[in-house]
Amino acid sequence: MLRHEVVVVGAGLAGQRAALAAIEAGRDVAIVSKLHPLRSHSGAAQGGINAAVGAEDSVETHIFDTVKGSDYLGDQDAIEFFCGEAGPTVVEMEHFGTIFSRAPDGSLARRPFGGAHFPRTIYAADRTGLALLQGLWERLGSERFTLYDEWDLTNVVVRDGRVQGIVAFDRKKGDFAEIASSAVVLATGPAGRIYAHTTNAHSCTGDGIAAAYDAGAELKDMEFVQFHPTALLETSILITEGARGEGGLLTNASGERFMIRYAPHVQELASRDVVSRAIVTEVAEGRGFAGPFGPYVHLELMHLGKEKVESRLQEICDYARRFAGIDPVTQPIPVYPAQHYMMGGIGTNRRGETNLPGLFAAGEAACVSIHGANRLGGNSLLETLVFGKQAGMAAAAYAATAPATALRATDVEEATAPLRRWSSRTDGEDPSTLRTELQRTMDRYVGIYRNEADLMEGIRRVRALRARFERVRVVDQSRIYNLNLTDALETGHMLELAETIVVGAYARTESRGAHARTDFPKRDDARWMRHTIARRAPEGPALTYAPVGYTRWEPTERVY
Amino acid sequence: MADATIPVPLDVYRFDPARDSAPRYQRYTLDLAPHTPVLSALLKIRAELDPTLSVRFSCRSAICGSCAMQVYSKSRLACETPVGPEVELHGRIVVEPMRNQPVVRDLVVDQAPFWKQYEGIEPHLKLDPAKPMPAGRTNPMSPEQVEAFHDTPRCIACAACFSACPAVEADPSFPGPMALAKLYRFVVDPRDTARQDRLVRIQTEGLWLCLRCHLCTDSCPKNVRPSERIRDLKEMAVAAQGATELGSRHAVGFKENLRSTGILNEMKLVRQTYGVVGTLGQVGQGIHVWRKKPEITKRPHPIEGAEEIEQIYKALDAEGDGR
Repeated sequence: MLRHEVVVVGAGLAGQRAALAAIEAGRDVAIVSKLHPLRSHSGAAQGGINAAVGAEDSVETHIFDTVKGSDYLGDQDAIEFFCGEAGPTVVEMEHFGTIFSRAPDGSLARRPFGGAHFPRTIYAADRTGLALLQGLWERLGSERFTLYDEWDLTNVVVRDGRVQGIVAFDRKKGDFAEIASSAVVLATGPAGRIYAHTTNAHSCTGDGIAAAYDAGAELKDMEFVQFHPTALLETSILITEGARGEGGLLTNASGERFMIRYAPHVQELASRDVVSRAIVTEVAEGRGFAGPFGPYVHLELMHLGKEKVESRLQEICDYARRFAGIDPVTQPIPVYPAQHYMMGGIGTNRRGETNLPGLFAAGEAACVSIHGANRLGGNSLLETLVFGKQAGMAAAAYAATAPATALRATDVEEATAPLRRWSSRTDGEDPSTLRTELQRTMDRYVGIYRNEADLMEGIRRVRALRARFERVRVVDQSRIYNLNLTDALETGHMLELAETIVVGAYARTESRGAHARTDFPKRDDARWMRHTIARRAPEGPALTYAPVGYTRWEPTERVY
Repeated sequence: MADATIPVPLDVYRFDPARDSAPRYQRYTLDLAPHTPVLSALLKIRAELDPTLSVRFSCRSAICGSCAMQVYSKSRLACETPVGPEVELHGRIVVEPMRNQPVVRDLVVDQAPFWKQYEGIEPHLKLDPAKPMPAGRTNPMSPEQVEAFHDTPRCIACAACFSACPAVEADPSFPGPMALAKLYRFVVDPRDTARQDRLVRIQTEGLWLCLRCHLCTDSCPKNVRPSERIRDLKEMAVAAQGATELGSRHAVGFKENLRSTGILNEMKLVRQTYGVVGTLGQVGQGIHVWRKKPEITKRPHPIEGAEEIEQIYKALDAEGDGR
């Protein structure tokens, strides 16, 4: 049986930062990831990382912008801590070797981002995630730890009220294995692939969130799903908010800059939820473009000039040219909102602790909550590093004093019994059929604008899919790199999480941040300024509610 | 954007070492719009025709580096290679796993040899304990210093270059294009204090094994241009240490040789590369060449216009980069 003092699952920025913190605390650390760490979805982040380092800016303003951006659902105490860590975090990443874009005076270059008072977003062209991921991985390279890459998490084992270890599937070997560990950090990213139109990578299937939920962890604010305003038509590949930060404009079919009507003060640089709703409204009211890949609006960069577009937005130039046959230097980019980010996740405090002793979480898989009902661009890369470090430190401290784990050899057998049943069936449904139907269901019934009837239908359909999943069949009988099996595993995870999203959305009878109910268009602080907590129960997610951490910012109406 | 579909025949490499005695090609035919990426075609096969096909993939947008493979014998990312041009050129699409890495199953390769070479160049900042990082603030770096990295920070470690590289195939000790481009990234980093050590070490650890075929640059989906950075490393290594290795002596001899006469003096080049004693070991080869092509063993006369070549050298010297 493998054994490590701290096991970090997920090797994007949050997982790597957690691992580094635990290693620095002297623990024996293992990193388990379904991808090689350099292939993590953190690398797809484009626009930048927020830190109020400009002379005109302040941590105080960063806190206020984040609280307001969260539509007053973010925990203010956590946000204060988070913004205070921003400057030191960016400095640390620069010292680790990250190559940032620079201003002429040699300082870090900054660009304006949505919902921020000042240009606060530090960047590396439009591949900031990749730059940070390389910098951190290469820093970790001089430390000692064990990497189990291309391993899929199947279970977190909890016994005697605390974590005992994990069970995972080694793709290349084709075997299940257990790793005993008293401290497990889940940094497995989001479940964006439960939607058909998502900017997320195929690997974003919420495996860690689902495993935590199965093990009894609380999920927080799952109904808050961010839709990025500018995803490339057809493929939903992300076109960074940095494109608007650099001066890009949104126009409708009459060539009108419609954001002036929705956010008179900051127009294109309003918060993401506001811009996404504006685009959907323009299309619904007949002012969008129509095409074979659905409706869209234009993102115009032509006026910025070839040099600026090709240097600061190098990657998205490639994306538009290769994936849409559009040259952004001379043509508008066709865009439409797509699922982008999950504000919700495994509920943690600001040390990354969950309700289960020994279980920690960080990054997009977790919900502290600092993003509340809507995340600001540039805050998620910062979150991965700030709270990855916190979770790693907390896990290391816990592991140092935790009693020996009581993982048993039979735990693998028990945990993987359903998976073996999928493979031994002679008839049943293919997991990709169920996945596709789930994605269509979520797009149609749990999208940007929601209402009671749609959400009710969404619940019905997701539950029907969950029932069908009981008969899922894996036809691939080879063990090595069996993607049919991992497909089924991921689909099961996504169905479970989809249910928590749609049930949470149905229950929340108000509109706040990214959760927009057409039947309850107003924010209702008296009743709903509180976090949704979902726990697994036999009949589906059991919802309770928890207060929002409040320090000094009175909720006011959110206008941009 | 939306275009009519065309029939796309894909011949996909299949091999499961646990079950198959030899690889085979399986034909799948799909109706696809010509702009559909090869990866989307493979995922459609998985979803609709054959869930047993193994392929490594994640982001589908050319940033995670997972889906490099051989598409009609060229190393590239399947997610950004459209099916249309391939079908038009060849009537079908042949999809195979990357080269220079053992096959795990179907299109999935074991990337251990690639990662080992990457780790071998010690891809992390090396700091001088006497010169710590500035406390509480970032190191200054000018936009020009950022420019000096060229496009090496764009590398997504997809290994397309490693797959395309004939030097890797011939000699597994060659670090390969990605590792050398990564080395360049650390050598030009103003924060790194091991520039000299890195350049000296790489002279004996494979730098001169590059064949200068530029297939790496040709196959790179992110325009990193590894062969150009390898050229830069060679120049920096010679500048840092002098021409101390076979490869660097050969390159310097080549340069001097051309400068003096405008034409290669093969015999002199052998002596410049191997030294007087080392040349004795090349006598057999020399006799062989003399028999086949006696003219190249004669001392060449300066060619017409050799003075113009001298002008070019002078102009380059004046630029100060020694090229």
